[in-house]
Amino acid sequence: MGPWAIPRSSNDQVMLDSAAYETNGYYDEMFAPGLVPRPGCTRVIADLVNLPGARLTELRTRADRMFLRMGVTFNVYGGEAGAERVFPFDPIPRVIDAETWVHIEAGLVQRIRALNAFLTDVYGAGEILRDGIVPRDLIAGSPQFRHAAVGLRPPGGVFITVAGIDLVRGGDGRFYVLEDNVRTPSGVSYVIENRVVMTRLVPDLIRGCAVRSVENYPADLLASLREIAPGNTSRPRIALLTPGPHNSAFFEHVFLSQQMGVELVEGQDLVCVDHALYMRTVHGLERIDVLYRRIDDDFLDPVVFRPDSLLGVAGLMAAVRAGSVAIANMVGTGIADDKAVFAYTPAIIRYYLGEEPILPIVETHLLRDPDVRRMVLRDLDRYVVKPTGASGGYGVVIGPKATYRELAETREHIERDPRAFIAQPVVSLSVHPTLVGGGTHGAPAFAPRHVDLRPFVLFGATPRVLPGGLTRVALREGSLIVNSSQGGGSKDTWVLA
Amino acid sequence: MLRRIAHHLFWTARHLERAEWRARLVDVHYHLLVESPPRATEPWTPLLAITGEADAFAERYIAADERSVLDFFTFDEANPSSIRSCIYAARENARALRHRISSELWLELNTLHLDAHGWSPAMLEQDGVFGFFADLRDRFYRIAGIVDGTLPRDLGYEFLTIGELLERNENVARLLDVKYHYLLPRPEDVGGPIDLLQWAAVLRSASALEAYRRAYGNAIAVDRVVELLLFDPTFPRSARFCVDQLGAALRRIAAWNAAGPVSRAPATDPLTAMLTIPAGSDVIRHGLHDFLLAVQDECARIETAVFDDYLRFE
Repeated sequence: MGPWAIPRSSNDQVMLDSAAYETNGYYDEMFAPGLVPRPGCTRVIADLVNLPGARLTELRTRADRMFLRMGVTFNVYGGEAGAERVFPFDPIPRVIDAETWVHIEAGLVQRIRALNAFLTDVYGAGEILRDGIVPRDLIAGSPQFRHAAVGLRPPGGVFITVAGIDLVRGGDGRFYVLEDNVRTPSGVSYVIENRVVMTRLVPDLIRGCAVRSVENYPADLLASLREIAPGNTSRPRIALLTPGPHNSAFFEHVFLSQQMGVELVEGQDLVCVDHALYMRTVHGLERIDVLYRRIDDDFLDPVVFRPDSLLGVAGLMAAVRAGSVAIANMVGTGIADDKAVFAYTPAIIRYYLGEEPILPIVETHLLRDPDVRRMVLRDLDRYVVKPTGASGGYGVVIGPKATYRELAETREHIERDPRAFIAQPVVSLSVHPTLVGGGTHGAPAFAPRHVDLRPFVLFGATPRVLPGGLTRVALREGSLIVNSSQGGGSKDTWVLA
Repeated sequence: MLRRIAHHLFWTARHLERAEWRARLVDVHYHLLVESPPRATEPWTPLLAITGEADAFAERYIAADERSVLDFFTFDEANPSSIRSCIYAARENARALRHRISSELWLELNTLHLDAHGWSPAMLEQDGVFGFFADLRDRFYRIAGIVDGTLPRDLGYEFLTIGELLERNENVARLLDVKYHYLLPRPEDVGGPIDLLQWAAVLRSASALEAYRRAYGNAIAVDRVVELLLFDPTFPRSARFCVDQLGAALRRIAAWNAAGPVSRAPATDPLTAMLTIPAGSDVIRHGLHDFLLAVQDECARIETAVFDDYLRFE
């Protein structure tokens, strides 16, 4: 046994305080009703959940220290200069058994295929609009529609190379798609670093459970980026475009560029000459074939988008149009994760693939429809209202938690511009045993906390799915918000082989 | 290697060297004042002459008293060359390099930056001027050690080297120039005790006093000081040593170019030639001031060449 190994507990009885552990009817990821371990969880419960509280707090402290030393941090906007924080980490992993994962993986691949076909169509022939499956004005009127992408035909029809698809598990135990993130999804570096830390904390347990590795992601990403390179390059040169050190996800940009062995560039490093993209090196201009960009469309090319942007490079879109450089993800993918278009994704899957959706979506109401609007406005406090164009949880109003005043404001916003909002019923997010401080006498204890799952899907010549994904956990009691800016933490996600 | 990255490396090293140099100057000058008989009304003005900042100082301070000059030199954030400003600038440049420099180096720079943030003039009274600057110099030695011990000798390292050496070369040339033509305006003082004390201080600023004594013995002669600080190929703070290293770095950078050899001679060749032939006494006879001006001009020319060839973005 290594220095971090933990001796197995002598009895397999769960040491959760069954009286205090109350899931309030939510689906628990680790325990079936009556605290019966779910498939694949027995060993984790025996070896980890069952440890004395002091050992568990020690594990968590050790994990935090590792994250800080490794510099796995996120920047806090508006904080002190150089303020960096560790993403709170819960040492109890979330387990997904092999059978469940096969189902999820198939659903994710189906989804990214359909969304890529949708984007190719919407910026090309527009057949799905002509056939009336998706209303034309929904697309044309969306702030996420990019005229600059009209007529673009990226190699292999790949608009989306990297997708982060947020899943939640409902009270019925089924996984639902909550939203797609197909612009510049982030969080994958935490998945990999969480595993690095867990591997040091409980190596024997990970080996014993046959947990599937996540460390291949950077290589898979690199392979996918190579595959979308313009046709005439045998050894495509790839760079990762970051907004710079002040961006909240800068750590991830550094991490991925290091892991892939590609240059990390800022807009000022780039120049377009004769419809080709170059970076300025000390020995002159060096060609770039594939740009993995981690800045928004709006900032990519001041000629086409925001003229005040210093983050991008002038002429990039012309180079893309000329077919001399590929960008991932392609410009205009935001129309595919527009919250209103989301309501149509089951129809989109059926239309392009002729298949039934494998993963259902969370019921989504378009408030542009007067009847639907009336229905939702009648019971606004029972819905989650989201602006259609935003991502990252901005502008979301959760009905049951909102104040009277917030609800009144939301109602006003909806009535002023109904197309800009959708409503979803409040999803009863599943819960997971999570280490919290507030047991008897302040001792550590387990409490159910809400979790979601963001798996990462890559698409180049072929789809590649990272086993698992980022499990985010709402550390505050009762909270449904898993975002790191609002008291969210994360767990390692174990997909069993 | 990206030009932006090379640029950040160059300026990180340059700002650090500048900050270190200032810490040395203050330390040595303070020694000098303690050892000298009291005479001048404003004993701190020479320091401002050495760094060429008398005007910038006069704009914002009334008198060149100890407190004001030390404040201007060390803590003043409005002075872009104060030690604090240089540390901030070095750290800000290094921030963009976090993925390319060792975590040890980043940690050290960041700690120094945080410490500089907390400095206050009261610390000089508390720790004493000696204590404060001696500690500070040790911090720079530690950084140099981390750079030496943790960074691979790749293309990036060359740009760190160039930033450091260009700054060092200019500082040595200016130090000699000011001492020779400014500090001792009365000819009858040449060779007197104050003169010798000052030359010893010049040597000490460059950590060269011991090297001098080993090479030339106890008696301090001007031409030999000049010989050591300008022409000695073995002393790490001499202009000759610096330009040799600069030339070597530039040749290595050119050799890194996979796109084909650059046949052009390194920009350092004229300065190397200047610093190879003469002896100290010859240079003094022919006019040390003109010679030092020429050295500074050459440094500026090398810097322009490095910028044009490797660092300029546009």
